[in-house]
Amino acid sequence: MDLVKHLRYFTVVAEELHFGNAAVRLGMAQPPLSQRIRRLEDELGVRLFDRSNRRVRLTAAGQALLPEAQEIVARVERLRALAGRGEGGEGAVLRVGVPPDLGSAVIAALIDGFREADRGVRLAPAEMWSTDQVAGLAAGTLDVGVVRHPVAAADLSFGPVLVQRPGVVLTESDPLAERPSVHLADLAGRRLVLFPGEPGLQEETLAECRRHGFVPEEVHEAQTLGLVIAGTAIAFGPRVELPGLRWRPLLGEPLAWRVSTAWRGEAGPAAEVFGAVAVRVLKENAGMTDDGAAPVRRVRTRPATGFLA
Amino acid sequence: MTDFDGLFRTAGVTGFLHAVDLDTGAEIAHGADQAVVTASVFKVALLVEFFRQADRGALDPSERVRIVADGHTPGPTGVSAMADDVTISLRDLAYLMIAVSDNTAADTLIGRVGLTAVNTMLASFGLAGTWLEHDCAGLFASIVEDAGQEDMPTDPAVVARLRVLDPARTNRSTPRETTRLLGMIWRDEAASPESCAWMRRLLGLQVWPHRLASGFPYDDVAVSGKTGTLPTLRNEAGVVEYPDGSRYAVAVFTRSYGTAQNQPRADAVIGTAARVAVERLRS
Repeated sequence: MDLVKHLRYFTVVAEELHFGNAAVRLGMAQPPLSQRIRRLEDELGVRLFDRSNRRVRLTAAGQALLPEAQEIVARVERLRALAGRGEGGEGAVLRVGVPPDLGSAVIAALIDGFREADRGVRLAPAEMWSTDQVAGLAAGTLDVGVVRHPVAAADLSFGPVLVQRPGVVLTESDPLAERPSVHLADLAGRRLVLFPGEPGLQEETLAECRRHGFVPEEVHEAQTLGLVIAGTAIAFGPRVELPGLRWRPLLGEPLAWRVSTAWRGEAGPAAEVFGAVAVRVLKENAGMTDDGAAPVRRVRTRPATGFLA
Repeated sequence: MTDFDGLFRTAGVTGFLHAVDLDTGAEIAHGADQAVVTASVFKVALLVEFFRQADRGALDPSERVRIVADGHTPGPTGVSAMADDVTISLRDLAYLMIAVSDNTAADTLIGRVGLTAVNTMLASFGLAGTWLEHDCAGLFASIVEDAGQEDMPTDPAVVARLRVLDPARTNRSTPRETTRLLGMIWRDEAASPESCAWMRRLLGLQVWPHRLASGFPYDDVAVSGKTGTLPTLRNEAGVVEYPDGSRYAVAVFTRSYGTAQNQPRADAVIGTAARVAVERLRS
């Protein structure tokens, strides 16, 4: 077991004396937290909390161990901070999440750009969809993300918002592939592939499709363009060059996918450097533009979705 | 095991659920002890304390009160949405508060009943994880302070800093405690049998069909409930009654990743998850 992590759970529960509140602070669900405290109690061979009669209280053993646990957690945090300051940078890593559809070339440019900007810290990118990135940021397993909007979670902060204008990806045998550009309404009767793990983006994209007269026969959630290559569906996304596929711009650029960096709490210096690099690379290598270019959508409130309905 | 995580994920939300057979105690739990933001579901606890005070003779439910138009709490329904002064009985305010989630009705009742009294009642029921931090006006003021605007925000950066979405700092409960309170109403334990019957009637007049009720599209099944809505939050807690006499309290609390106000799938998954839970209890 990761003793330090479990001790940290212990100190937070001891401060809150409430498993629900502690779980909220730790950005996790309550059942796994209770389970880990029990595991720590098994490991140490003592009961740390008295959970009877609905109130959580420290046992005598818990009270005795708390200052030691706090000391260990604080020392390990200091150790990490010192390592992260990057004298020589051994071991300092910035864990970032990027959308899997960004493409290898853009991810390579991100790594290169960051290496030039901050030689002390190594970038560890992981391809994840926005919901997984938000979960990773909340759990502390990710330092910075590159997420698609709108996605929200407690204490999340965002860098400047950029806009990506997707086109449509079709099989080469689709009659629309002959045209230089495609209107959303032309896609009527086709099935649509959307990314999984991007619920906010999905809602917006489907709403925009309906508004422009394209109601997909069926919506598939998929990571790859297999269904498109097989000719059974179309997809939206940045320009792709793959055998059997054609990419065409959408007439009037009706879709605006918004992207930004995201982090939780205070951004560290390495995260700030990454944020600046990401904005530059996404503009230069992924054709994204500043958010000002996208039309602002006015929210028309309905009773069923209004304040405290 | 039912994959509730998968179900909620498909709808773009995280969700917590508790369902219990009110007669056998059999239950289905999915994060049932998680601290959750109640949003308007807190109005059920207020309803209970209102009727307990009526039982004690501390207030007269048929007493008429006058609510002046410029004293309204913001809200999209009921007295909150009306243009003129209103004279109405306290128990009809209770009806508006439950059936259409009228915020002005709720705050007027809180003015009579007192938030402290509701919290004292909850503690005496042993519902230690359920707590009312503020009335609807207080909740609204907190949003305006955090968001800098009176419209409900959809900007992710603004939504992320709303204190009213943090269970530690607003009206909160857990799915399990919410179904316990509903069970007490349905078993005549929350107040006098007459008052409990009245509360059941009001909860049965719930007008919104898109959440809990959407999961039970059967003419012979009764669905009573109370919704709860705030940016990214969609909740409903209620009781489902089958023609064979069996009854189930269900509480579903969700939070969406997306910030759009209209997310039909997120509303519907509350009904779907509730039905999955109830069907498992019935099998």
